[in-house]
Amino acid sequence: MPRILLLLPTTTYRTEAFLAAALQMDVEVTIGSEQPNTLARLNPTALLTLSLHDPGQTARQVVDFAAKHPIAAVVAVDDQVTVAAAAVCEALSLRQNSVESVLAAGNKHRMRQLFQRAGVPSPGFRLCRLDDGAETLAGQQHYPCVLKPLGLSGSQGVIRVNDELEFMRAVGRLMKILDAESRKRKAASRALLADSVSAVCSARQGDQSVSLTTHFLVEDFIGGPEVAVEGLLSRGRLHVLALFDKPDPLDGPFFEETIYVTPSRLSTVVQEQIADCTSQAVRALGLSEGPIHAELRLGTDGPSMIEVNARSIGGQCSRMLKFGTGISLEELIIRHALDGDFEPPVRERQPAGVMMIPIPRAGKLREVRGVHDAESVAGIERVTISAHVGQKLVPLPEGSLYLGFLFARASSVQAVETALREAHARLQFVIEPFEINNEPVKKTLVPADSQQ
Amino acid sequence: MTQDDVAITGEPITDAMCRFSVDRPVYPEKSSYFGSKEQAEGSALAERLFAIDGVRGVQVSHNQVTVRKAGMDEWSVIGKQVGAAIRDFLSSGESAVSDKFREAIPSTDEIRERVQDVLDTEINPSVAEHGGVIRLIDVKDNVVYIQMGGGCQGCGQADVTLKFGIETAIRAAVDGVGDILDVTDHASGRNPYYVASAK
Repeated sequence: MPRILLLLPTTTYRTEAFLAAALQMDVEVTIGSEQPNTLARLNPTALLTLSLHDPGQTARQVVDFAAKHPIAAVVAVDDQVTVAAAAVCEALSLRQNSVESVLAAGNKHRMRQLFQRAGVPSPGFRLCRLDDGAETLAGQQHYPCVLKPLGLSGSQGVIRVNDELEFMRAVGRLMKILDAESRKRKAASRALLADSVSAVCSARQGDQSVSLTTHFLVEDFIGGPEVAVEGLLSRGRLHVLALFDKPDPLDGPFFEETIYVTPSRLSTVVQEQIADCTSQAVRALGLSEGPIHAELRLGTDGPSMIEVNARSIGGQCSRMLKFGTGISLEELIIRHALDGDFEPPVRERQPAGVMMIPIPRAGKLREVRGVHDAESVAGIERVTISAHVGQKLVPLPEGSLYLGFLFARASSVQAVETALREAHARLQFVIEPFEINNEPVKKTLVPADSQQ
Repeated sequence: MTQDDVAITGEPITDAMCRFSVDRPVYPEKSSYFGSKEQAEGSALAERLFAIDGVRGVQVSHNQVTVRKAGMDEWSVIGKQVGAAIRDFLSSGESAVSDKFREAIPSTDEIRERVQDVLDTEINPSVAEHGGVIRLIDVKDNVVYIQMGGGCQGCGQADVTLKFGIETAIRAAVDGVGDILDVTDHASGRNPYYVASAK
């Protein structure tokens, strides 16, 4: 039986979905995580501890392991470990994305450079240093524009500004976010896109002067609706697995993802333009194998590529996708990793959607009300609250988490969207604001759809 | 009784698992789980079901047959073959589970005692390092129900710990154990050891 290695960070949301997919296939499964499982000694061929923050070391560890237990495929379950997966595949001579291409997909500046060089429609950009002085930088920009960290995901730290004053305030905020991120990475080895990965990136790309924690991008703001593409690359060929409309406008100042629905309501012509733009973008980055998730804006000049990630859709959103006879996105990814010639089946016909439940305000989660009420909405398949009671909640742009996910299926895309909004309106979150100067604060009942 | 008289309804539980309810008992008042073709040898119903391409596990319980499959064939295709196998078995008059298999399964009390011993000596001392605890909730026939508490409840790695640690240890120590089911309400975990931190 072939053995697959799942690189699975201990803090990923994707564990359940990838394990469920892998365990129903005729494969031996080995899990590689950056922290030891407390029961690893009971099953050492299935539970590996790897230095995932150091791709080179990870590759050496896996090569040693594979000498006794040959590995047929390596799957990175999310973007924290795509570089390590590429390094392992390179060392084992398995067909996969190159380390360089994955690094480029994880660094927004490098990505923008490659898009520009290849003529991929994408926003204009300028690379800035945090210590260049906000006032000086503010005078050099065209407004509106978007400040963006180079290496964070989930819209964390992404801020739209409309004038110089807003720019200077946003830089101050971004400095704190990147400073906190830098300290977190130094303190915890579980921050996998850590300095060593950054160093590999710099060394391989001749880009030594650019750091993920001291630099940021300023991009032109492109108005218009946003869409997302879920795809699978096979020998460089893009299979579009799903095209998602995002019906909530994403005009800033922060870019909180909420509703994704599929199939898209856009015309066939526009859908083809989106697929073409995505194909150009993955070619520009050099990605050739495995899942991709792309975000595009539909501006007045057509689709513009915001970013491409060398991973599948984030969080638990993949639950809404079923392919062919009902197989999951994760199974499809594993099958492709085992057999590069695997032709992915098409998505089921029924419209589906997900809502990532945003954090309405900062504080500590004390209680969630209305879950059964939300579940009873016609079309709602599942309500998942992923935040736990007592968890510290931080909204965008400082945070990157969601409270949970709503999933719907219905006879039309409009019905899916309506069900998600109705279910969301029935949820209430009791959030206790953070204590300020040790003064006691009252718990606050926050309807799910209220804003910060 | 003709094969056409038998009414069977299939209810997929997951992509990989489907429960078939039969309008009459197939294994009256008893339950057994078969995790492999070898285990099913000699047991008339399980043997027929394992002959179907893709079947990887079979639970026979009174009037219900739960089938776990691998592969991409849809349940509407495999379901017809499962239905035919159940009907063929019922018309044969054979016993669903062989005497040899039944005798090899320890009694419920014995399973309970041995599983508790594995939890006490091998698993809980280790998961305690992360503030976790695994409790044995029940054993019904050869199916084991456990609950994860403390740092394990709601932990992002709970599935890994269950499938690759707890299951491995229990199966290695106790022959004849069927499904090992986690009945934890992970959403209510207040202090999970690993909290999902990325989008």
